[in-house]
Amino acid sequence: MRGRRKSRIIGPVTGPHPSTHGTAVHRPADFEAFWDETLAILASSPVDVHFEHDRLRSTPEVDVYDVHYTSYQNVRIAAWYCRPAGARGALPAIIHVPGYVSEPAIPKGSARDGFAALSLAPRGKLRSHGQFNPGYPGLLTENIVDHRTYGYRGFYCDAIRAMDVIFTRPEIDPGRVAVAGSSQGGALALLVAAMRPETRCAVVGAPYLTGMIDAIALTHSYPYQEINDYLRQFPERRESAARTLAYYDLINFAPRIVCPVLINIGLRDDVCPPETGYAVFDALRCPKELHPYEDCAHDAGGQWHGAVSRAFLSRHLRGPT
Amino acid sequence: MSDLAPFWRDVLSDLNRQPMAATIDPLDLRSTDFARCHAVRLSSVDDYRLFAYFSAPDGSGPHPAILHASGYASVVQVPSYEERRTYASLAMCARGQRLSDRPYAAAFPGLLTDRIEDPGRSPLRGIVADNIRAVEFLSGQSEVDPDRIVVVGSDMALFATALAPGIRAAVVADPLLVNLGTLAHTVHDYPHEEINDYLRAFPDREETVRASLEIFDPSRLSDRIAARVLLSCGPPGSYFDRGRAETLARRIPRAEIYERTGRGYLDRIAIERWIAEAIAA
Repeated sequence: MRGRRKSRIIGPVTGPHPSTHGTAVHRPADFEAFWDETLAILASSPVDVHFEHDRLRSTPEVDVYDVHYTSYQNVRIAAWYCRPAGARGALPAIIHVPGYVSEPAIPKGSARDGFAALSLAPRGKLRSHGQFNPGYPGLLTENIVDHRTYGYRGFYCDAIRAMDVIFTRPEIDPGRVAVAGSSQGGALALLVAAMRPETRCAVVGAPYLTGMIDAIALTHSYPYQEINDYLRQFPERRESAARTLAYYDLINFAPRIVCPVLINIGLRDDVCPPETGYAVFDALRCPKELHPYEDCAHDAGGQWHGAVSRAFLSRHLRGPT
Repeated sequence: MSDLAPFWRDVLSDLNRQPMAATIDPLDLRSTDFARCHAVRLSSVDDYRLFAYFSAPDGSGPHPAILHASGYASVVQVPSYEERRTYASLAMCARGQRLSDRPYAAAFPGLLTDRIEDPGRSPLRGIVADNIRAVEFLSGQSEVDPDRIVVVGSDMALFATALAPGIRAAVVADPLLVNLGTLAHTVHDYPHEEINDYLRAFPDREETVRASLEIFDPSRLSDRIAARVLLSCGPPGSYFDRGRAETLARRIPRAEIYERTGRGYLDRIAIERWIAEAIAA
C-alpha cells in the first residue's frame, strides 16, 4: 500500500488518480477451504422458506410477499418478494442486497418493470435481528479478531442463500437471475456472483468491503471509521483484525466471478474510496464495465447511472437464455 | 406569525412538564484525537428515554453546533469525523429509531402510518417533541454557543426550527411530510407508498388520514421560522424538486434554495460553505 494522507478526499484532488490505487489484499492460504467449510455449514441448515402474501403492501400491479428463511447457524432471515401481479411462467429475477445502514426496500419498482424481485434483510437488520443484533455502528467490528466468528460470516451466508430462496419460486427463470446493490449492497452483489455461479449478471454500485485495510487509511467516514475507532481503542489487535478482514475482502472473491459485472463509483466518494472500487474492478476476470463519475461522492453518479443499470439488466435478463 | 395550533401548544406544554433528566457519559470508542464523544440519554414527552451522540471539539469553546434532526430511517449515524473538528454535534435518535427503540421499535416501512388516523397517538407527535428536546439539550451545554446552532435534516429540522427558539439556521433536504396528503398518490416509492398502501387497505379512513397529515405538515408552521433556511432539493422529477422547493420557500420568511447537482461531493461542499457562512453572519 502506498503512503497516503487520511481524508485525502476532502478537498481538491491533488494526488494520484484513484485508478493508480496500488491496493492489494493478502489472500489467506486457506481462503477457499474456509469458505467451502462455511458453505457446508450453511447447507446443513434447511432453507425452510416461507412466503406469505402481504395484502397491505400488494397493489393491483404487484404481488408482495413477506418472506422468511433459515440461514447460517439456523438464524431466521426476513426478505420481501415482489412479482408482477398474477405472473406465471419464466420471469427474469433480481436479488436486491442492502446497504449498511438502510433497511431493505420493498422492490415494487422492479416488479413494475416486469421482474420478480427479492430484497433481503440479512441478520442484524430490523426484521432479522432477533438472534443477532450487533447494531450500527457495530456490525463491521463484531468479533473482528477471529475470522471464524466474525459477524459478517453469517451475514454473507444470508446473501448467498438468497439464490436458494428465489429458486423456490416456480414463476422465475433460474437461468436469468441477477443480483444488484450499492455500497454494502455492491459488496454483497459481488459476493453472490462469486459464490453462486448461477448468477446471470451483477450490478454493483460504490462497492464496500473491498480493500478494507487500505480503505481505513483513506477515509474517516463511517462505516469504515468503525474499524479506526476500534483500532484506536485496541491497537494491539490490528494484525488479527487485518487477518480476519482478508477472508471477507471482496477483492479476494472477485476472481471467482464469471458473469458480467457492471460497476459505478464516485471519484470523490469518502465512504467507499474510489481507489478500492478500482482495485476490485481490476481483480475481476469476467466481462466487466466500470463507470467512474467525476465529483460524485457515495451517490456514485446515481442520477445518471440508473439508466445505465437498467439497460445492462435488460440486456442480460431479457435477452435469449 | 400565526397562532400556534392547539395540538402543538399541547405538545410543547407536555414537553415543558417533562424533566429532561439528561445523563452524559463519555463514549471513548467514538471519540477522536480532537473531539470527545458522549452518550446522552434524556427524557421527552410520555416519559420516553432517548439516546443521542454528542461530540464537542477539545479546547476552549463555546463552539458553533450542528443538530442532526432525526430522519426517516432506523439507524442514526455518529456525527462525521470532519464535522467534529469544528462543530459541537448532536445526532438525535428519536423514539422508534435504533438506540431509542424501547419501548417503541418503529418499523420501516410502517412508522409513517402507525396510528396515523389519530394524531394524538401517532408516534410522529412524540418524534417532533424529541427533536425540540434535542435543541433544548444542545443549547444548555457549556461547550455550545447557543446563538450559533444549525439544524440539519428533513421534516424534523423544519419542526425544530419552527417550534424551538434560538436556532440560527437550518438545512432542510427533501421533506417528506410537506403536502404529503395530496402528493402521496403521485409517488410510488417508499416511504410515500406507505400512505398509498394504507389508504388502499382502509379507504374509509382517507379523510381522517389527510386531516392527520395536515397536522404533521411542517410547512403549516413555516411562518414561525425566524432562522435562515436552506432548502436542498433534487433534480426535476424528484418529489422535492425546485418547483416544490419554491412553493415551500415562499412560506418561509428567510428561505433560500439549493438544487443539488447530483455530484455529491460538490453538493456537500456547497452546503458546508452555506452553514459556515450562516454561522459567521
